[in-house]
Amino acid sequence: MTGTMCGDVTEPAELVPGLVERVNGRGPYALVGSRCPDCGATVFPSVVRCPYCQGQPLRQGVGAAGSLYTYTVVRTRAPFGLPEPYAVGYVDLDGSGLRVFGLIDPAMADELTVGQRVEVGLMRLGVDGQGRPCLRPVFRSEHPTASEVGR
Amino acid sequence: MSGEVYIAGIGSTAFGRQPDVSLLELAAEAGRRALADAGIKPADVGIGFFANALAGKLFGDLTIGQNVFAALGMSRLPIANVENACTSGSTAFYLACLAVRAGEVDCAMVIGAEKMCVPQLGLLSSGDSELDTLLGLVTPASFAMRARRHMAEFGTTVEQLAQVSVKNRSHGVLNALAQFRSEVSLGEVLASPMIADPLTRFQSCPIADGASALIVCSESMARRLGARITVRAATLSTGNYDNPQDMVRWRTDREGVEKAYEIAGVGPADLDVIECHDAFTIAEILHYEALGLCPVGEGGRLVAEGVTALGGSKPVNVSGGLLARGHPVGATGVEQIVELTRQLRGNAGARQVHGARLGLAHCMGGDRAADTKSMTVAVLAA
Repeated sequence: MTGTMCGDVTEPAELVPGLVERVNGRGPYALVGSRCPDCGATVFPSVVRCPYCQGQPLRQGVGAAGSLYTYTVVRTRAPFGLPEPYAVGYVDLDGSGLRVFGLIDPAMADELTVGQRVEVGLMRLGVDGQGRPCLRPVFRSEHPTASEVGR
Repeated sequence: MSGEVYIAGIGSTAFGRQPDVSLLELAAEAGRRALADAGIKPADVGIGFFANALAGKLFGDLTIGQNVFAALGMSRLPIANVENACTSGSTAFYLACLAVRAGEVDCAMVIGAEKMCVPQLGLLSSGDSELDTLLGLVTPASFAMRARRHMAEFGTTVEQLAQVSVKNRSHGVLNALAQFRSEVSLGEVLASPMIADPLTRFQSCPIADGASALIVCSESMARRLGARITVRAATLSTGNYDNPQDMVRWRTDREGVEKAYEIAGVGPADLDVIECHDAFTIAEILHYEALGLCPVGEGGRLVAEGVTALGGSKPVNVSGGLLARGHPVGATGVEQIVELTRQLRGNAGARQVHGARLGLAHCMGGDRAADTKSMTVAVLAA
């Protein structure tokens, strides 16, 4: 697993800024979506206008952990410089109940099961459109590993 | 509903790798064959629809339909270009039926074509700038995750999944236009390279170059031409994108099918022959369940028991389906309806479903928020 070395001053940027935030600035990572105060809809990722009522939604954390609804390990040529193979899945997030697609920590690829617990993380994974290394949100084992970025 | 719509003509090229034939020539050849089959002149056609999904991305070409129809000597009629992922062709058919049913034209022509066996193809996704794509959602992964969930909830086995490929490849042997014309064994399907667990390469449809065309017409024109295949329903649906989506009880799929059944006034028991979008083996199993051919969760058992094979009581993809015929994206939705027309005319040769009177074509395209972007159903009757 590629991690940021201690003392590496050029930590890569997030591929899509704002998808995840630390709870209270320093707690665990959570995915950030939108909640509409008018109709109550909660969506991920965040939107400028509520797709149900066109109200003005507020940014809101939609979950820091959940259980794996389904998954696969992709063994074709990987896009965006992702590892070969790489794992993806849908996770049922605690709290909001949203079912969200995302990458899974590649270190877990051989031991995935439907229903297993995962948490949200941010990991150096693949490259951006310009070929630069970048951070992507991931679902990872609930016990953080040493490969985590920013700790 | 006002006027009845009939299928007046069909035409197809072979599907497969055709490096020396341009997209334009593939499309024009299918169009020529459909005009000849209908026995009409270009001037008889009132509107043209051209379906293609990938030429804009692969070749930078746009508004190709005008070039295709011009090559057939058709230059002053209204022409529209249609892109709706794998349902591009069947969406064009839907629009053509609308035009005829509305009485706007007596005759509409649909041509679907794709040229995708080119080095720049890369991996197909639902849109290069969409978040899911940026997070690694390639098309096989989307269906692999449905397969994994189906296995976890219902006990569907990898052997049942693989049986869809075995069946459709055995059908492809009987279709001279198909890309793959050899049988594969269950063991060969399972031993082929893993693409996205649990789906192997032989459970994924091959890319192809190819084109298909259809001519639809009004009742009065059908009477003149002796055309007798009617369109009982042609529907186009879009996903709901509510969250969470149940990925194995596919609401959009079920509702789209129910809408078509209601319009046509038929149910699953009435169907004699079915073409569906078997881009991956699990897709065909999910569509069995949405079509009501079996209860939810029992699609794997249905294929394993041979019910959906040629000779079974509900034959599905007797053309070989996408898995054997190949999947030139823009042509696929048209070719499904072309195949039903062959079957209902009784002209399908060695793969003829005997006595077929009612057929259904089902197609899906694109992926958004664990749902499909587009879905079409066509119900045809002899």
